[in-house]
Amino acid sequence: MRFPPFLLPLLFVLLYAVPGFAQTYAVKGFINSAFTGEPLVGATVSVPALQAGSFTDERGAYTLQLPAGRHILQVSYIGYQPISQAIRINKSSGIINLVMQPVSSQLQEVEVDADALRQKLNDTRMSVEKLSSREAKLLPALFGEIDLIKTLQLKPGVQSGGEGSSGLYVRGGGPDQNLVLLDGAVIYNPSHLFGFFSVFNPDAVKSVELFKGGFPAQFGGRLSSVLDVGLNEGNNESIHTSGGLGLISSRLTVEGPIVKNKANFIVSGRRTYVDVFTRQINKWSEGKEDYNPIPDYYFYDLNGKFTYKLGDNDQLYLSGYYGRDFFTFNNNGFNFGFNWGNTMAALRWRHKYSSRLYANTTLSATSYQYTIQNQFDVFSLHLTSSIKDYSLKTDYDLFVDGGHSIKFGAMATYHNFTVGRLNSSGDSLSIQSGSGYKAAEFGAYASDDYQVSARLSLNYGLRLSGFGNSGKVYMGLEPRASAKYNLSETTSIKGSFASMMQYIHLVSNSGASLPTDVWYPSTRYVKPQRSQQVAMGFSKLFGNGRFLLTNEVYYKWMHRQIDFRNGANLFVNDSLENEFLFGKGRSYGNEVYLEKTQGRTTGWIGYTLSWTDRKFDVEDDVEDINEGNWFPARYDRRHDLSVVVLHKLSKRLNLTAAFVYSTGDASSLPVARFAFQDVEGKDAAVVPIYTKRNDFRMAAYHRLDLGAVLKLRPKHGEADLTFSVYNAYNRRNPYFVYFEQRKDDADERILGFQAKQVSLFPVVPSITYNFKF
Amino acid sequence: MTRKISYLLLPLLLLLCSCDLQKDIEVDLPSYAPQLVVECYLEPGQPYRLTVLESSSYFETPQPVVVDNAEAYITHNGKKIQLPYKPTYDENSGRLYTHVSEAVMNGKTGDIYGLEVTDDKGRKVTGYTTILPEIPIDTIEWKFNEKEEAYLLTSFQDDPNTADYYRYFVHQDSLNTDSDQNFTSSDNATNGKRISFGSGYDYKRGDVVILTLFHIEKQYFDFLNSTANARNANGNPFAQPAQIKSSVQGGIGIFTNLAYDREVVIIK
Repeated sequence: MRFPPFLLPLLFVLLYAVPGFAQTYAVKGFINSAFTGEPLVGATVSVPALQAGSFTDERGAYTLQLPAGRHILQVSYIGYQPISQAIRINKSSGIINLVMQPVSSQLQEVEVDADALRQKLNDTRMSVEKLSSREAKLLPALFGEIDLIKTLQLKPGVQSGGEGSSGLYVRGGGPDQNLVLLDGAVIYNPSHLFGFFSVFNPDAVKSVELFKGGFPAQFGGRLSSVLDVGLNEGNNESIHTSGGLGLISSRLTVEGPIVKNKANFIVSGRRTYVDVFTRQINKWSEGKEDYNPIPDYYFYDLNGKFTYKLGDNDQLYLSGYYGRDFFTFNNNGFNFGFNWGNTMAALRWRHKYSSRLYANTTLSATSYQYTIQNQFDVFSLHLTSSIKDYSLKTDYDLFVDGGHSIKFGAMATYHNFTVGRLNSSGDSLSIQSGSGYKAAEFGAYASDDYQVSARLSLNYGLRLSGFGNSGKVYMGLEPRASAKYNLSETTSIKGSFASMMQYIHLVSNSGASLPTDVWYPSTRYVKPQRSQQVAMGFSKLFGNGRFLLTNEVYYKWMHRQIDFRNGANLFVNDSLENEFLFGKGRSYGNEVYLEKTQGRTTGWIGYTLSWTDRKFDVEDDVEDINEGNWFPARYDRRHDLSVVVLHKLSKRLNLTAAFVYSTGDASSLPVARFAFQDVEGKDAAVVPIYTKRNDFRMAAYHRLDLGAVLKLRPKHGEADLTFSVYNAYNRRNPYFVYFEQRKDDADERILGFQAKQVSLFPVVPSITYNFKF
Repeated sequence: MTRKISYLLLPLLLLLCSCDLQKDIEVDLPSYAPQLVVECYLEPGQPYRLTVLESSSYFETPQPVVVDNAEAYITHNGKKIQLPYKPTYDENSGRLYTHVSEAVMNGKTGDIYGLEVTDDKGRKVTGYTTILPEIPIDTIEWKFNEKEEAYLLTSFQDDPNTADYYRYFVHQDSLNTDSDQNFTSSDNATNGKRISFGSGYDYKRGDVVILTLFHIEKQYFDFLNSTANARNANGNPFAQPAQIKSSVQGGIGIFTNLAYDREVVIIK
């Protein structure tokens, strides 16, 4: 691995920019919501005069290192009234717990105070994108279906998989390289409807945090990103019901206390209802000759969380997710059924040993599976693939005088893979095939967030990971480090390094997130994927603290990347490993992010200039991809721009707009063709010849979405109408390109060939009604 | 309530359906050096027949380019037979051949044949094929549902000692009509078993059905699948581009032999 010269300044910062020490003392505490009593994760706690600040962790805990004396402590959190409180540090550590008052209810517009930007400037972490459900709910969405994952695609360094797709491609990584956590448990396939919607119901989710680089040591197992999704906790005071009616789906959430201030719950459900409509059409058309019934499709998901306070020092959280997609088709004697989905349950115990030591222990089970069934007369086919995990992890937080916030912990996961299990039976024939693997994965880590001085903070850690399958054991050491240095009150520079290992792999040779993609373990032949990423950044606060400009440069090396042989059969194949090809990848780029979070008009502009390539060396004489040369990944988009504007027109009306522009996808088109006559009984055909991989660029993608949220005045509770216009100027964005034969109508003679571009969504207006009482 | 929702969805679906989401675009393709394309199927009792064409850049003239200076040879048992250039159209089968021999092929199971095609540009294509035995169809059954429609079931015995590949055709009335079924299959999951290929409820009493079971070489199976994958990749946004797996070296194409059992039945 060659160290790129443009990252030398990062080393300089890390190695030499250590200023003189000042004696500091730890100030710790918890930030909770006055409304629900739940901890506020990611609240910013700061002393602006000292440029010192930190974020609360998943328990709402924070730590600051401050010199002795009087200070003004400020706390801010999206949707809550900021707190400004005078504190005195008397040459010893102290504990300050605070509760925050919400600005208003769930349907209220976002209010963020100016210090959020200052805290971001002063945070040691870099390459992190945070989004709350409240923020996402204001923005326009396809079919009105609010989707936090798609909103994250508007952030720099995050690409979408294509039109309408909820897949995340982070800094050149694939969607299989994202660690998706829901309340600490892994979700393996975070999408519904072939990737068009994510599995996260916006009513159930509180916020999401996406790490693009500079990964904290407690996360491991994927190369490119960590998507940490936190579920809402139930209201501690009284029972509330909220929900929404949309074009595609409806949502309902019930929450409230079970034992006041001791136990609460929240349950959210969502279901689509296009199937109601299609069934009706099928009923009307029943019996018509040549009528092909429309397949039946729907999905639903359920989220729940139960919180129980055992005592002053102990709390239990039980979180669950269950979601299924159903696709059924009955015609001409065939009864075809296809269903897929995730199941997750996680029990977390939070224990406070002392004011300096906390522990979170989580026991979780998660699974993803798909099943295809087909029944015809006496013949039946049943095909299933799945991954089932049982996992135990424990994470400790230790606060040590002198500015150290230490985290350490360990995790162990038992994986059970079922790959293409087929049972087929009929008259006289029965077929069984498929394979199963049982594997164990573990990790242990320690890290220190060290506030060296008011200007300099460091975070360094090490993760040891391992994986065992059928007697073959792999181990990996994953060093992580990041640093922040304040050049002035309004300027900071940051740098980070992260090494990652990935022991399980997604078997997918399509460009989309298909439910039939299966997870496959590392084996003797399939070695773990590895990556290293370095990033350096610069942040500048200006316009009287109203604007924050951030620029980050990154370079990522990826090893043992996986692709598949041409024409590989990945569906039912007992020798799947023979289809794997191994290569390497690289991604580098520059991300510019300008954000404004204060005032009637807020929003951001993100621009990414990046390159993402893959290379697969020729392993044998028969197979290669692109003759062993570097080629661009499909989602290698040179320019990627997003502009998001939110404007509060009045107390009742919010207007929003989002514009995106990106370089067209790299795709493969045939360069030549030949006539294939075939044998008697078969018509001749034109066969395309593909040469280079992803050598063609589709037209640029751009789109404007408009939205409005109008608050209504119902007699009880609150309500609003959310309007969205997706693709407002009706741009025909390319989804794919193909070559069509032009034929003479009379004699079927081929007259020539024409390139055709197919688009997916024209302008799509939608309306959603939301309520809460 | 559900009816109300349907009314809400209707305009949306109409909007999506009424939009023309396809348009013609111009694409600049890189330059392409044409390759020889060879198709040759040996069949006992038939003359050696071969088609030599050229591949072409996608947007060039649509008519296949015939290579009239190509020289073609079949080798077998140390003998080399030249196939004269003699463009022939077989009206029965609808096939066009560029090279046809006087001699008739009479190879037996296990015999190996070679092919060599050269042209005046110095291009050379070679390939080999091993004559396979026919696999007989042992049963053809059909079963009616209450609507008097029948499905078909064609069964045969797979050889447990060999890796076998099959191609299966179903036609109605004549081989010159579009096939009802056309697929390839391997015995990976069914080695040594009695294999059945079925259909939907597609037939009624009196239908004349022609069933053909080809026993094919792996190289032919790979070639057929790769051409199907390549055709599928042009127009399927989820498919990966596929390269053609030719059975010949030095060009594109297939050199193989046809061993098949063909049965004609009338559904009663």
